[in-house]
Amino acid sequence: MSKKRVGFKLDMTPMVDVGFLLLTFFMLTTQFKPEESVEIALPDSHSVFKLPDADVITISVSKDSRIFLGFDSQNMRSAVFGEANKLRAGMEVKSEQLANLLVQARTRNPKLRTVIKGDKDTPYEVIEKVMNVLQKVNITRFNLVTNLAK
Amino acid sequence: MSADVGPSQSRGKQKHSKKKSKRVGVRIDMTPMVDVAFLLLTFFMLTTTMAKPQTMEINLPPDSGVNVEVAESNLLTLRVAADPKDTISVFYNTGIDKPVRLVGKNRTDCIAALGKMLKERIKSNPKLITLIKIDGKARYVDMVDIMDELNLADITRFSLAPLLDQDRKIIEKI
Repeated sequence: MSKKRVGFKLDMTPMVDVGFLLLTFFMLTTQFKPEESVEIALPDSHSVFKLPDADVITISVSKDSRIFLGFDSQNMRSAVFGEANKLRAGMEVKSEQLANLLVQARTRNPKLRTVIKGDKDTPYEVIEKVMNVLQKVNITRFNLVTNLAK
Repeated sequence: MSADVGPSQSRGKQKHSKKKSKRVGVRIDMTPMVDVAFLLLTFFMLTTTMAKPQTMEINLPPDSGVNVEVAESNLLTLRVAADPKDTISVFYNTGIDKPVRLVGKNRTDCIAALGKMLKERIKSNPKLITLIKIDGKARYVDMVDIMDELNLADITRFSLAPLLDQDRKIIEKI
């Protein structure tokens, strides 16, 4: 007595439409994670300031106390690090060079904002040194990058 | 599942006398295209991260050697000693009192205790200025956690100072 369903057809058009809509959305909003100069485990905080999109100087401090300087635009990178290094996200710098490079970058683009990206396990003295350099070159406003704590 | 392009096949046949054959009901199998589209959709959905990192803003006074005079009674000093991973030792004192160690079962407890203490202190004395002295060997996350607690307690004015040997001696005794 069972009926056989032969040639069952379902209109897939709406599903495909929605699929393409979502695809377009994700393709347009996606931003690939910028290449990191070094892997950094960020500390957590309850701060809700967002990291600015453009005009950022990133000072990354790795777990083993190495300091990396990075810019978000290729123009800045080629201006500060030389044409050959414009595709590299960040360059390792010595703490003595840092002041000079920061001044050089800021004269080129005064809108630049400075952020410090320190690893959780970085010894505090390195961060202290970086902050002293910032104070010396009159960057009195800067941000510390953190993850949002739950 | 094959693309069936119906009437176009009949074009070559001689039986039809019409010169222009009308193409009616051209059907193209869209399945592969839709498959690829959904594959891409899955890829973008999985790789997308919506969250951007947060930042903590800090304003430093300009480096011009300005000295700020603070009454001893308004000064809360926090000293952080270098500690092995996953623990934190914070010593606090007001003015010239003896430093007290913050107690907690673990790091998270200590930080929570610090937050509680700060909230009480700022309530009883809104003019409170906090001085943070962190050991150079301590971890960066200690500084961020302490600043975070200060921010949560609405203490927006604090200073950072290096932990000197005399501070080390003071906290070693406790």
